Amino acid sequence: MADDPYAALGVSRTATDAEIKKAYRKIARTDHPDLTDDPAAHERFKAASAAYDLLRDPEQRARFDRGEIDAQGQERPQRRYYRDFSESPDNPYRGQADFGDFSDVFADLFGEGGRGGFRAGARPGAGGRSFDMRGQDYRYTLEVDFLTAARGGTTRITLPEGQVLDVNIPAGTRDGQTIRLRGKGGPGMGEAPPGDALLTLSVREDPDWRPEGDDVTTVLPISLDEAVLGGRVEVQTIDGPVMLTIPRGASSGQKLRLRGRGLQGAGGKRGDQHVELRVVMPPKVDDELARFIETWRKDHAYDPRATRRRGGR
Amino acid sequence: MTSRSMSRDEILALIPELSDAALDALTDAGIVQPVLEEGAPRFRDIDAARVQLALELEDAFQLDADALALVLSLIDQLHGLKGEMRAVLGALAAEPPETRARLRGVIRQTRVLRIRRR
Repeated sequence: MADDPYAALGVSRTATDAEIKKAYRKIARTDHPDLTDDPAAHERFKAASAAYDLLRDPEQRARFDRGEIDAQGQERPQRRYYRDFSESPDNPYRGQADFGDFSDVFADLFGEGGRGGFRAGARPGAGGRSFDMRGQDYRYTLEVDFLTAARGGTTRITLPEGQVLDVNIPAGTRDGQTIRLRGKGGPGMGEAPPGDALLTLSVREDPDWRPEGDDVTTVLPISLDEAVLGGRVEVQTIDGPVMLTIPRGASSGQKLRLRGRGLQGAGGKRGDQHVELRVVMPPKVDDELARFIETWRKDHAYDPRATRRRGGR
Repeated sequence: MTSRSMSRDEILALIPELSDAALDALTDAGIVQPVLEEGAPRFRDIDAARVQLALELEDAFQLDADALALVLSLIDQLHGLKGEMRAVLGALAAEPPETRARLRGVIRQTRVLRIRRR
């Protein structure tokens, strides 16, 4: 942004709060990226909103005036404007466009099923023409949960016309992947075949499964005794539960690898699952445990921060 | 790789200018429509961007809820049409020059000349 927030808003350094607000509003009205296409206007808006953020706060403004902070300090993280989403055909907030006599042409070019997943009322393009034309493709968005996408499986969907279909979700499906259902789109005209239904899959985030490439990371809580003594513990994988050996003396944050238990990769090879251990204390530290640890500490005290202290301050 | 959705607390944290009451008002007015998942509202990226734009419009034009809904509906229509126009122009650009010339002729007849006559 500009070095001088006053210049970005086009006000003097002695401007009142009301004048600053007025100047910002004026720029927002003309230069907001969601209201105009002009790239120069976008830059002006960006500079003006950063300047406004700084100057609207009397304390920040005073500090800037005294030279304690510079204008850069106020820059916001990269923001995504509404137009980044609203121009896309699946903007759920947009109703159906109606082009009157040309509605058929519009539907023919863009399809009517492209909006709002299964809420959209896709109608087959009206007929009455005397030529053969392949039916239009219908586009839908289908939300699946993480494990269905990872494991693969069948999901039953109902198309807007009432047709019920079992869709096979391949194992290792990623967000944004599209599944084509041949012949499930709009009917063809004349002798031509029907179009296809295109399902774009949106994979819902799952807090228990953190994907990274073909690998997934899960967190496994273990008890204090399991951490000290080691043991075998059941852990969930994409394919179901397996027994995992916890090494003696495990620490929180330690990661164990389950080879080949990750997501199906592009080449058919599966990634790995990383199991992050988290030691969980018993719900209540009773007297017996406290007494034992106190005794134990006398002879076995250790410093888990020893290496860190040496490196830092 | 996954599509993001936020809880109520997360969207409030993401947009510092957004107050609890303002989010309720925007939701009640139907200006932002979170998706319900197991009874709890989840906000998508588009909802967050829409909320931010709504706050700015509210502030810049001093709009009430009804006026804000109208302005946003117009913006949705305009942005949607822009997206479609872009797709049409992209398709036209890929057509051979003869096809474009023919379409240009038709478009001028229906649109450009009529305007000039008035």
